[in-house]
Parts: sequence; structure tokens; C-alpha cells
Amino acid sequence: MPNRHYLKRDFNNWSIYTLAIVIFIAVPILTIFLKLFSGPGETWQHIVKNLLADYTINSLWLIFGCIILTLLFGVSSAWIVSRYKIPFQNTIEWMLILPLAIPSYITAYAYAGIFDYGGSLELLLRKVGISMIKIDIMNIYGLIVVLSLSLFPYVYVSTRAVFLYQSNRLIEASKLLGASEIKTFFNIVLPVARPAIIGGLFLVLMEVLNDYGAAKYFGVNTFTTGIFRTWFSLEEPNTAVYLSALLLLVVFVLIFLERLQRGDKKYNLALKSDIQLPKKNSSKKFQFLLFGLASIPLVFGFLLPFLQLVYWAFLTYSDTISIAFFNTALQSLSISILTAFLTVLIAVMVLYFPKWNRLKFLKDTPKIAVLGYAIPGAVIALGVMIPTLVLDKWFIKTMKQVMNIDIGLIINGTIAILVYAYIIRFLAVAFNPIEASQTKIGKQLSESSKLLGKNNLVTFIKIELPLLKTGLLSAFILVFVDIMKELPLTLILKPYHINTLAVKAYEYASDEQIMEASIPSLLIIVTGIIPIILLNKLILGAK
Amino acid sequence: MKNIYYLLIVLISFSSCKTDKKKDVPNDEIAKKEQVVNIYTHRHYPSDQELFSKFEKETGITVNVVNADADELMQKMTEEGEQSPADVLITVDAGRLVRAKDKNLLQPINSEKLNSTIPKYLKDEDNQWFALTKRARVIVYAKDRIKPEQLSTYKDLTSDSWKGKILIRSSDNIYNQSLMASIIANIGEESAKKWAEGMVVNMARTPKGNDRDQVKAVVAGEGDVAVVNTYYIGKLLNSKDPEEVKAGNGVGVFFPNQEGRGTHINISGAGVAKYAPNKDNAIKFIEFLASKETQEVFAKANYEYPVNKDVKPSELLQSWGDFKEDTLNLSILGKYNKKAVILFDESGWK
Repeated sequence: MPNRHYLKRDFNNWSIYTLAIVIFIAVPILTIFLKLFSGPGETWQHIVKNLLADYTINSLWLIFGCIILTLLFGVSSAWIVSRYKIPFQNTIEWMLILPLAIPSYITAYAYAGIFDYGGSLELLLRKVGISMIKIDIMNIYGLIVVLSLSLFPYVYVSTRAVFLYQSNRLIEASKLLGASEIKTFFNIVLPVARPAIIGGLFLVLMEVLNDYGAAKYFGVNTFTTGIFRTWFSLEEPNTAVYLSALLLLVVFVLIFLERLQRGDKKYNLALKSDIQLPKKNSSKKFQFLLFGLASIPLVFGFLLPFLQLVYWAFLTYSDTISIAFFNTALQSLSISILTAFLTVLIAVMVLYFPKWNRLKFLKDTPKIAVLGYAIPGAVIALGVMIPTLVLDKWFIKTMKQVMNIDIGLIINGTIAILVYAYIIRFLAVAFNPIEASQTKIGKQLSESSKLLGKNNLVTFIKIELPLLKTGLLSAFILVFVDIMKELPLTLILKPYHINTLAVKAYEYASDEQIMEASIPSLLIIVTGIIPIILLNKLILGAK
Repeated sequence: MKNIYYLLIVLISFSSCKTDKKKDVPNDEIAKKEQVVNIYTHRHYPSDQELFSKFEKETGITVNVVNADADELMQKMTEEGEQSPADVLITVDAGRLVRAKDKNLLQPINSEKLNSTIPKYLKDEDNQWFALTKRARVIVYAKDRIKPEQLSTYKDLTSDSWKGKILIRSSDNIYNQSLMASIIANIGEESAKKWAEGMVVNMARTPKGNDRDQVKAVVAGEGDVAVVNTYYIGKLLNSKDPEEVKAGNGVGVFFPNQEGRGTHINISGAGVAKYAPNKDNAIKFIEFLASKETQEVFAKANYEYPVNKDVKPSELLQSWGDFKEDTLNLSILGKYNKKAVILFDESGWK
């Protein structure tokens, strides 16, 4: 039995810890996959016959449209701010990340409010004496635009980092060889930035496929609205899980296609001490043109919806602001901070434990960490509840037998399960920036430390942790902002006495009090803006 | 292998810390110290919150609230099973209450007070749930273009004269599902499907937005009539946004089917959870919500019709006039809910 032999030889404590953490992450996801084998419910035929085509076409359109638009907004603005001198350079640079602070369903509501009958646009036009030009944005095209405007910063952030620090030598070389600006951009800059762009695009797509609120309000039936409909209106969770599996399949096909097209080409040029090219100076007119171009996604992705919310808040603040409201804000904040911290901690464990363990089959475990991000929040809630309830019930039984006390549910209905579900959902968001920082550090330092007799943990704390700081902080901030905005999970799993701003906003909105939803939404945005500014400083400060 | 034991010890000590924090444990000792009632509710109105506080003051029973969609709450109760801390489930439509009963999530209760205040068709035959407020699903019309005489029934909306004029929201919406269920119950599956198909043909646009948006679209001229719930008209008329008030004023309310079976109504209602750890408090709580004093506020604050026979609706609602309700037993709505969704899908109602 050679296998056994290896097992014995390579087994160390880290293998146990790795295994523990794999179980921790994989159980909810496995629960969902196991549901697949119980077969789809009886309405599956009905869905295939009447709805599936609609869901598929709409979802594909959304994906396609959002890819084009987020690329356009994200890459062009990243290119402008990293290569050219423009007025208000620094302000524009960090403000372009702000659309991320508004939950996309809130952006959708705000836009509906702007273009609505009696909406802000009409009021404005009336003031200048033009009668209403009715623009209907509540359809799939409107949805594509709104989602792209609120999600393009994912592409912008990752692309700008590359434009700033990685492609400069190549750009110089290309110029020296006489290539034009445009040719350099398409032949050199874009291919080098491609992995970063794709990384950002991947996050965009996950968010698009996960969107429920905006699509539902705009009356566009997608896979995700379909999942909710089959689960709740048709009462068939099994069929709903089937639909989410199909959704996952779409995601995997997309990833596969990208890999296929990229082929073996690798542009990872490990250029050290990258030089930052001086930004190009151009005529005043051209500068203002570029400024205008870079501001478009900012104005439409952030300023306009923000102003609409401020207007609504102005109309309704007297009814919505109370002490209880500030309490909610505080709870929201503390849950997000606590969970973001834990998520980062676990992301670090997921990254390092498998490295320190010597068993081969456990080395690849980080890959499962990203899966949670691809699964809709409501489905994750189900995946988390089922196994923890089994555990809860077992605890209750044993405690009754052993100590004769009834302890009740200790995981479900407490904050523990909510935090657990958040971690599963957002682990990928934390994992990516940490992994990126870790790759930059390289192995030499930690290996020298180990040669000098320090163990894994000491090496990590003394050597790698300080170097990982940027990655860790970025991870923390991204997860923090995501949790502040999170809705479906929170709705299902939150315990009594706990309320979040996102839930509060949803309560108002679901009761058609969209104006009243503006104040909690604004608070989500404001608490999101501060860490986002911080994040920007980090990216610029990082080398 | 020692490590595994350490891990277990840490886990167990961690979880035992957790129990201290939990107040909702159905533990006799704790219950004696602090009286609570745990509410799972789909109603998210601020006025409800005030009433809960009033209940706390009057009875000394602490009200714990979980707010979410009824479907999600029911899923949660199902998963929690016997350990569920829920005492009362409140939903905003009858269909969901019936579903909760079918899923064995509720229990029958015996309350003289409730039996005497709430009419028979507004409660479950086994006393598992009780209506608390009513809303009617009416037709609103553009006052400047349409005369109420042109309107008659839900069915008439499918006639050719309304082609391209009708506004109604998506079939995802429970109010539409319940309306459809009532139509199935009244005229049969086949005719109901025909009705849905006729509605789809006559729609002014693909369904989108919520009930308020349908009213605004009528005033904006996208269509002439819309099918909406009464209380949204009340909300529009009392909105902080002057444009919304204008929209509310631009439409008239018409109660369909007055010659026939009556206008479709829906309810919000409550039932006691099957494994309610605080059953007595739960009954007290529902009785409180149905009582005369509470109903005055409960229904009025949200422009709904009270279920308590002794309470009059708000002035605004009175101004629309009395109307004949469809007294179809509301349990039927739950029975046909799934069928309604399937028929909607088949008829192409998005």
C-alpha cells in the first residue's frame, strides 16, 4: 500500500487544519450539489417549455451587454487617468470607484425615479419649458446600462493597477520602435492587461448573474429571478437548485472560453522596480475632452443616482430618521467589520494551510474558495442552513442526554450562521487580492527564514504578514463594502434584534416606499465611500 | 491526533458561550423571568412597529421581530422544525397562510375573541390563521379619459376595446397570483387561462415596476386603466412627493364585479406557529391586533380595510364608497396558487 505510506510520511498538523477548513467551506456548497441528485421537481418540464428560453436569452443578453459596456467604461477611464494629465486628476481617479458604494438595485430604483412620470428629469425639463420626452429605461437595455454603470469599477480598479505599474517599459519600447499610440494600446497594453481585465470582468459577471432586485423591478426575467420564482412561487427548491446549477454552468463555460482563447500565451512579465511614466501632457482642449470622457461613467454611475437619493431623503427624512435607525446603522457597521475581519482571516488560512501541508491532494483546495461567489445568496443561505441544523439538532440531543438541559438552537437564529454564510459567499472577494500580494512576495524570503530554523507560523507572522499588508487591507475593505450591501442572505438568516441598513432599505422598497428607502441607502453609500477612498490610497501606494 | 480533541474542546466551549446570548430559548426558567413573543412577519410598516411597542407596554411581553418575505420565513420555519423559535407568522396575503398550514407550520387555536370579531370567510376553517386587514384589488382609471361607466368586470378588461390600454404588474407578484387563483376558483382553469391570455394581448406594455408605477403610467398616458391594490392609492395620495400626490389624484377607483361575485380582496393575517414556545403570548398578540382599539390604528395607518366589524375604515377609504366583496373562502387562494403561476407562465404573462 504505497498510498498509505505517502499518507503517513507527508501527514502533518497542517493537513488536519487544511481538512478542517475545507470542510468548513465545502459543506454548504456540497449540500447544494447533493440536492442536484435528488432530481428536479415536477415543474421542471413546465419551466423548460415556457420559461427557460426567456431566462437564457435575457441572461445571455445581460452578460453580453454588460461585458461590452463595463469594458468600455472601465478600460477607457483607467487608460485616461493613468496615461494623461487631465484637470482634477486625483479627484477623478478615486471618484471613479464610487459607483461600487451604491447597491446596484438602489441605482436601478434611482434611475427609475429619474426617468419616471413626475420624475426628476421631467421636473427639470418642465422648469426650462420643454415638455416631457418620455424615455423608457425599464427594460433589458436599461438594465444593461444601469448594471454596467454600477459595476464597471471592478474592471476599472484592476485595469488601472496594471496600466500604472506593469506596462510602462513595454510602452516605452514600443514607442522607441516607432509604433503609434493606438497601435501600442491594442498590441501591447491590452494583451498585457488582459488577465487583470478578465479578473475584474469576472467579478462584474458574478454580480450581474446574482442581481435580483434590479432585474425584478425592471421586469426582466433572468436565471436569478427564475430561481426565486421556482423556489418560492412554485414551491420547488429542488428545481430552483437545478436552475442555479445551470447558471453555474454558464459561468464555467465563460471561464473556459476565455482560457481557450487566451491559449498558452502568458504575459506575466516579472519586471521589477517598474518605472512610472510621466503622464502625457496635451493641449488644454484635448485635456478637457479626456476629462469629459473619464467623467461620463462617474456622473452617470454615481453622481446622478446619488443626487436623486439625496432629493428623496430631503423629502422624507422627517419620517425615517429615529434612534432605532442609528442603532441599525451601528449594527450594520459592526457586523460588517467583524465579518470582514473573519473572512480575511479565513482567506489567509485557505491560502497558507494547503501550502504548509504536504499532502498533495489537499494542495488544490484554495480553488473551492471562489465557488461561493458564483452561487446566488439565497441558495447559499439554504446550503448553510441545512447542515448547521443537523449539527444544532445533534447538539441539542446530546446535551439533553448528557446534561439534561435544553440548549435550543445555537447556530441557527444567531449571528454565527449569518457570519458563516457571509464568509462562504465573499471568501473569493477576500482571497483574490491576498493571493495577488502573496504572488508578488515570492518564495525566497520565506524559504530563507525556514532555512534559518523558523517554523511556518513564525515565518508567516514575521516575514510575510507585513508584506501582505496591502492585499489584506484591500481584501478587508472589499468584503466590508460587499457585506454592507448584501441583501438576500441577510434577509433569510439574520437573527432577532439585528437589522442592517440594506434590509431596512429593502423593507421600504418592497413596500413600494422607494423614497423612504433613500436614507438607509445613503448611509450605506457614505459608510462605503470612506473605505473606498482608503482602498484607492492603498492601490496607489502599493508597488 | 491530539489536535482534533483540542479543536473539539474549543468548538464546544465556543458554542456554549453562544447560548448565554440567546434570549429566545424556549427554556422554562428563562421564560419565567422574561415574557416574550417571537414574530416572523412579512409586514414592514413603521406603524406596525408602534403597535408592537404598545403591546409591550400593555402586557409586559417583549416582542421580537424577524422581517422577511413570507416564503423565506416559511422556508426558515420548515428548516428549524421543532426548534423554531417562531410564535406568530404574519403574511400579507391569504395564499401564503394557507401554504403555511399545508406545510404543517401552524396550529389551531381556540380564541373566543377572534371567533367573534373576524367573519368566517376571513379565517381558516380549523382556526389556524386569521385575517387582520383587508385590501381590495381594484381597477383604477384615468379620470380625464375614461368614465367609470365604461368599466364593469375583470373579465371585461380582456375585450377588444381595451387593446393596448391595460397596465398591470408582473405575475411574480403575489397579489396577481391570488387574483388569478380567485378567478380559477370562480370560473375554472380553462376560462382563467383564457382570461390571462386576453389580458396579455391587451397590455399596454410588458409588466414591470410595482403597483405605484402602474398608477403613474396611467397618469402619464401609457395606458388607460390599471389593476392595483387599494392601499397603494392611499399611499400615493399621502406621499411626500407632490408628483406622486398628483398621480394619485389623477385616477379614479372602480370596484369591479359589483353585479356578480364582488371585488377580489386579499388580506394580511396571522397564525400561531406549530412549535410556538410561547403559545399563550402568541394568542394574546393576535387578539391584540384584532381588537377594536388596535384595528383603528392598524388598518388606518396603512390605508387598509379593518377586519373587525366594529371598526370603520379611514375617511379616504369611505370616500371611495362601500363595495361588494368576493366572499370566496380565502383558503381557496392558497389551494390554487401554484396553478395560477403555471397558467400565467403558459399564457405568456411575464
